[in-house]
Amino acid sequence: MGIITVLWEKWVEFRRDFYKITVAAMISPLMYLIIFGMGIQTTSHGEPYLHFLIPGVVAMATMTGSFSAIAQNMSVQRLYEKALDQVMVSPTPLWQFILGQVLGGSLRGMYAGGIILLLTSPIRTDLTFNAVSLLIMLLNGMVFSTIALVLSFLAKSYTDAPRFTAYIITPMSFLCNTFFSTEQMPAGFRQAVSLLPLSQASGMIRAISNGEAPGVFGFVVLLAYLAVFGLISVLFIYRKKNL
Amino acid sequence: MIELRGLTKRFDDFTAVDHLDLTIQTGEFFGLLGPNGAGKTTTISMMSTVLLPTEGEILIDGQRLDRSASVQKRKLSVITQEYSMRQDMNMDEVMEYQGRLYYLPRKVIRQKTDELLEFAGLTEFRKRTVRHLSGGMKRKLMICRALMIEPEILLLDEPTAGMDALSRRQMWNLLRRVNSEKMTIVLTTHYIEEAQALCNRVALINAGKLQKLDTPDVLIEELGAFAVDETSEDGLVSHYFHDREEAIAYLSRAGNNAALRSTTLEDVFVVCAGRKIS
Repeated sequence: MGIITVLWEKWVEFRRDFYKITVAAMISPLMYLIIFGMGIQTTSHGEPYLHFLIPGVVAMATMTGSFSAIAQNMSVQRLYEKALDQVMVSPTPLWQFILGQVLGGSLRGMYAGGIILLLTSPIRTDLTFNAVSLLIMLLNGMVFSTIALVLSFLAKSYTDAPRFTAYIITPMSFLCNTFFSTEQMPAGFRQAVSLLPLSQASGMIRAISNGEAPGVFGFVVLLAYLAVFGLISVLFIYRKKNL
Repeated sequence: MIELRGLTKRFDDFTAVDHLDLTIQTGEFFGLLGPNGAGKTTTISMMSTVLLPTEGEILIDGQRLDRSASVQKRKLSVITQEYSMRQDMNMDEVMEYQGRLYYLPRKVIRQKTDELLEFAGLTEFRKRTVRHLSGGMKRKLMICRALMIEPEILLLDEPTAGMDALSRRQMWNLLRRVNSEKMTIVLTTHYIEEAQALCNRVALINAGKLQKLDTPDVLIEELGAFAVDETSEDGLVSHYFHDREEAIAYLSRAGNNAALRSTTLEDVFVVCAGRKIS
């Protein structure tokens, strides 16, 4: 029930800011596709680079959409509007509030990823996107929503949210198997980067788009991140002395 | 019944609330008074679980209150000092969000929203977003939101701050009415006359510690029911007397620079806070 309440709140927000959310979700990924995929025409692994790029940009859009939907919103609600107080005092179980936020954030990420799929659909690429791709997008969005929740609980000022984006999201956007394969990175760094959630999500979506099986390891990594950050966010909301 | 047992809150080296012990009876209108920084808002924040105590505990009807205590939290509603609402929601959405958080059926939410917004004179502004409301309207909306769930316990942290005199009186009447329906009310306020007019009992706290606890009448009697205000070079100094004759005798000695009046709860507050009006 509490989950539905949070999803309703997210829906109210989405409905009101529909154009802003949609345009914000489109601009950066579209620029990357136009500049790197169509402007600088090149090949990767013998295929047009655009074939490599699209799955990575879809994963990246999912990450950015989910993260920004939660990080900014929760920081403002907690520190500026104090609207989180209304939730804290209510009988709604706080784990349901967290789960609602994670699902709501993930749906926003899927919306952002879906826009990219829609925009690239007229391009003849023969890439495959199926229900498993959507599942990976959902899971990726959930991971980044939980990370956003943890960071927003740690934030000391609502201006911290853009800093989190600069420190975490921007480096991941460029390094994690989105624009180029992690195989080209130096040993050690490569292994570290490939264990990041976006590397796995990009890799799995790309594998499916090329007609290959995504493999189980990527799911294990994403589920591990989800479990760890989900647990931390639940512990924070129940135990943090000064929320 | 609400029980605070050894309630303590520390922020690093600063102790905001220091081993506070209070029992508030069901249906009581209870005032929590103290100077700025006394620990009133911190106490209310712990009673609404936004802050967790460093030591001690809060019991509601004998059951410990914490963030997972949904049954106890169902009884509580709070009006915070700050406007704790989503700024981008309109009034209807704020009310619906509250109703949903407390599991009210949608029909009830709609009905109560209509009634309360009408009562508060906010109906014509119901589609206006919170950020476009005046301070007084936001305050009224918070009251509507708190009353929507018909709580057994209402925590009010400076509920009339920023309200004009007329709105404040309307608010007093509303609070008296809901209190007469056996709702327990805990009020913090800077308006001491508000506490004197409304509260059955008041606790005076200073530096996080309980200084005095009793009915306003007893506290006034304890200080002396008669006050003589004397203007001197040091400013305005008040003297308190239990006996009227004694007060008049002092007044006659003081001459034109003094005036006799009844002691108020504000005098108790000022003496307790260790301050002199200057």
